[in-house]
Amino acid sequence: MKNPLRKRILREFKQEWTKYLILFVFMSAIISFISGFFVASGSIRVLYDNGFERYNIENGNFEYYAEASEETLCTLEEEGISIYENFYVERETDQIESSLRVYNERSEINGVCLMEGEFPKEADEIIIDRMYADNNEIEVGDTLVFDGEDLIVCGLAAFSDYSSLFSGTSDMMFDAMKFGVGMMTEEGFEQLGEVGLHYNYSWIYAEEPADKIEEKEMAEDILTALNEHGMVTNFIPRYLNQAIVFTDEDMGNDRIMFSAFLYIVIAIIAFIFAVTTSNTIAKEATVIGTLRASGYTRGEILRHYIALPVLVTLLSALVGNVLGYTFFLEVAKGIYYASYSLPTFELTLSGDAFVKTTVVPVILMMVINSVIIAGKLKLSPMKFLRRDLSARQKKKAFRLNSDIPIMSRFRMRIIFQNIPNYLTLAVGIFFANAIMILGLAFPALLKNHQEMISQSIVCENQYILKVPANTETEGAEKYCAYTLVTTEEKIKSESVSVYGLVENSKYIDIDGDVLGDLAEGEVIISSAYADKYDIAEGDEIVLREEYGEEEYTFRVSGIYEYIAGLAIYMSMDSFWECFDCEEDYFNGYFSEEKIEDIDEMLIATVITEDDMNKMSRQLTVSLGGVFDIFYYFGLVMFAMIIYLLSKLVIEKNAQSISMTKVLGYTNNEIGGLYIFSTSIVAIASFLLTMPLINKVMEVVVRIMLSSYPGWIPYYIPSASFVRIALAGIATYGVIAFLQFGKVKKVPLNMALKNVE
Amino acid sequence: MFLEINKIKKHFGEGESKIEVLKGIDVGIEKGEFCVLLGPSGSGKSTLLNIIGGIDQADSGYIAIEGEKTEDMSEKTLTLYRRKHLGYIFQMYNLIPNLNIKENIEVGAYLSDNPLNVDDILHTLGLYEHRHKLPNQLSGGQQQRTAIGRAIVKNPDILLCDEPTGALDYNTSKEILKLIEEVNQKYGNTIVMVTHNDAIKNMADRVITLRDGIIRKDYKNEVKIPAEQLEW
Repeated sequence: MKNPLRKRILREFKQEWTKYLILFVFMSAIISFISGFFVASGSIRVLYDNGFERYNIENGNFEYYAEASEETLCTLEEEGISIYENFYVERETDQIESSLRVYNERSEINGVCLMEGEFPKEADEIIIDRMYADNNEIEVGDTLVFDGEDLIVCGLAAFSDYSSLFSGTSDMMFDAMKFGVGMMTEEGFEQLGEVGLHYNYSWIYAEEPADKIEEKEMAEDILTALNEHGMVTNFIPRYLNQAIVFTDEDMGNDRIMFSAFLYIVIAIIAFIFAVTTSNTIAKEATVIGTLRASGYTRGEILRHYIALPVLVTLLSALVGNVLGYTFFLEVAKGIYYASYSLPTFELTLSGDAFVKTTVVPVILMMVINSVIIAGKLKLSPMKFLRRDLSARQKKKAFRLNSDIPIMSRFRMRIIFQNIPNYLTLAVGIFFANAIMILGLAFPALLKNHQEMISQSIVCENQYILKVPANTETEGAEKYCAYTLVTTEEKIKSESVSVYGLVENSKYIDIDGDVLGDLAEGEVIISSAYADKYDIAEGDEIVLREEYGEEEYTFRVSGIYEYIAGLAIYMSMDSFWECFDCEEDYFNGYFSEEKIEDIDEMLIATVITEDDMNKMSRQLTVSLGGVFDIFYYFGLVMFAMIIYLLSKLVIEKNAQSISMTKVLGYTNNEIGGLYIFSTSIVAIASFLLTMPLINKVMEVVVRIMLSSYPGWIPYYIPSASFVRIALAGIATYGVIAFLQFGKVKKVPLNMALKNVE
Repeated sequence: MFLEINKIKKHFGEGESKIEVLKGIDVGIEKGEFCVLLGPSGSGKSTLLNIIGGIDQADSGYIAIEGEKTEDMSEKTLTLYRRKHLGYIFQMYNLIPNLNIKENIEVGAYLSDNPLNVDDILHTLGLYEHRHKLPNQLSGGQQQRTAIGRAIVKNPDILLCDEPTGALDYNTSKEILKLIEEVNQKYGNTIVMVTHNDAIKNMADRVITLRDGIIRKDYKNEVKIPAEQLEW
């Protein structure tokens, strides 16, 4: 015979349908959202992984200052690699402010996935990246003016070696608005000429390296060989190529973040279920005692009490997955395709998303509830019959000073009595507020970063030259620059710009005497560098050549307030000595004016404010909508937790509320006791968790951003906290009003019911 | 007349299951009178007490205290009525479980502009040494004494007692009855006590016996027996 207690489950559901409905809707919403992301990212990951073979993606690329001879290439191929020409021309577009990297027709390596239109057939046709086109509202058939040349956009595509549109390895972030890639026919490419032409070559290993360490060693061997045959101006093994690897890493981080997010929310909901069930157990103590005395086992009763939470979770997970595989899959796809330049979507179903969004939440719910409720059911039948539910000896009351007014003591007692509820409430508020802060903080942090860059911008135009060249431009100031890389990480390293400055530079506000007085090996570093790597004055830093093994050790003598990049400053004399340069060597200009009297062929790069804002701009474009979702999700979670737990406090004390009514207390006075106590806890939790959230978010944001090159300092404006406080107060006000209605509804005759 | 109970009627249920619990009760109770409502289960005595206490409503008729009718009162006024005039003692004590003994009594004191001294009451009730304990740390008798303390601390005009000894043993019951007797004598409150224990009628000034919603007997005791000497 089946356990007859199961007949109560549906009745219990009907009795408490608001609670179950709220939790069901909330869990379904979060599971559907995350399931959609898992299915989308799982499918994209399969596309991405298969893409290496399908599109024959390079193992790396390098660039020579001049075109390599056939003989050189043949010699290099003796290193166990196949080399393919992958030349490109990079220039500015005219009608939109962006730079476009146009490749020669590709047939053997780094295949291109056509997504709309067709591949170029004529010399004046170009196929461009789909995301760059979307961001700049370019459609098939439009004319794109590429440095004065009219090109017809014949198609939109995903370039397999640019799943993220990074223009270089030192970029903090890709910028799919200001940078794009395209491809033309051989004839069309030749017609572009030599301005901005890069002699870029891709390589493929004859035998794939076994692991990252071997891949690094093989890349180092190739670099050594390359240096023997020409002047290497760029060298990017695949593992360092952000344009290829970033998508995978970023999606991997997303999956970890979403899993953690889902499980924390489910754990909080499990605790809410557990405390409400504990309340039901207290109410039904005599019934449980009778059942236990009649021979029901603890296990049977435990299974009965955890059945509804588990069933609601299972139902939420199933509904969530249906929505996740349909509606939210499109949402997630939209977000990924707004961030990455991916080939045409193909749905791949895998058990992974289902396990993570259905099996794990159900198990989590079952385990948390079983542990807490089993603890409650450990008592003997007699204790249940006597309603003596304390596991230990009878608890002693806290002594409270009699000088404290009785109403205040009453509130304090309510708080002490409901500590498990209020702890769950505090944890829930902490988490909900953290989600809201995350939603508000990121846009603010990015905006602040852009503003700080505008304020700390060195000059309007910073030129990096291929060879020293003089200019008559007024105010232009020479400097030396070199790029070294950090040595902290075994595989990944990060670029640091080393500057040699003239005395009393007009652009970098470091006193000439300070620079001049630095001892050998002493340097000033940028605040971004100090902040990201936690470097203080007096510390030693070790950097190495970007494409070599030589290491440099510096002692930090001071920190210069500059947040736009990782940089080291020294005097020009020190620079010449450090890098063994000839006196009077320089390779760049700081200038407010555009320099127009230097041949463009001699200019390697011009860095503007726009370049420095790439990261914040792209993050704003691709994640803007997600931040709003986070904020409102946090707010809904805040409301749900407060509503359910404050309702529980009232239900738990219904008998006492009824009695106080009988004694002659007014509804306002009773509200002042039971609702105000929850208000005190909610406000205290809010105020106490905010500084903690601030600290936690600082760590979280630091971890999130530390994997990106460069640095965005942590910043949350006070206005964000104020906004959350106001939203919290308004939400709480509505809930308190609803709960006051519940207090009013507690019947007077409840006090008359016999309570043993 | 201090407490006027006028033609009170009350029913529960509808249709075939409709039960007339009170069929027109007419009683007047004097100030300071100790009145016992006696009757078997289902006679309507507790329902009548709840209507007097304003926690249940009559179908018709009215209750008036010093001429003030409860049927005309709004919910708010009814609350003030209970606050001002009534003290309640239940069979199951109904103490607030998370307040200690002293605080439970203070909850009653808070409602009065002129409450009795809480410590004096604790001494009178023999609860002073237990004042910091929670209700579940005390025996049933001690809990009922606390409930009495909570009811009398605001010095109410009327003390309504619903089977105050129903859950207690013989000795403890007598202790509680003695206490109620002392309260009546010391503070002069009007007491309406519901009981089905026939022996208790002998300690009252007046005995009203109910059966099937009708007053069967209503008389004054010529000679009262002190609670101390009651036997059952």
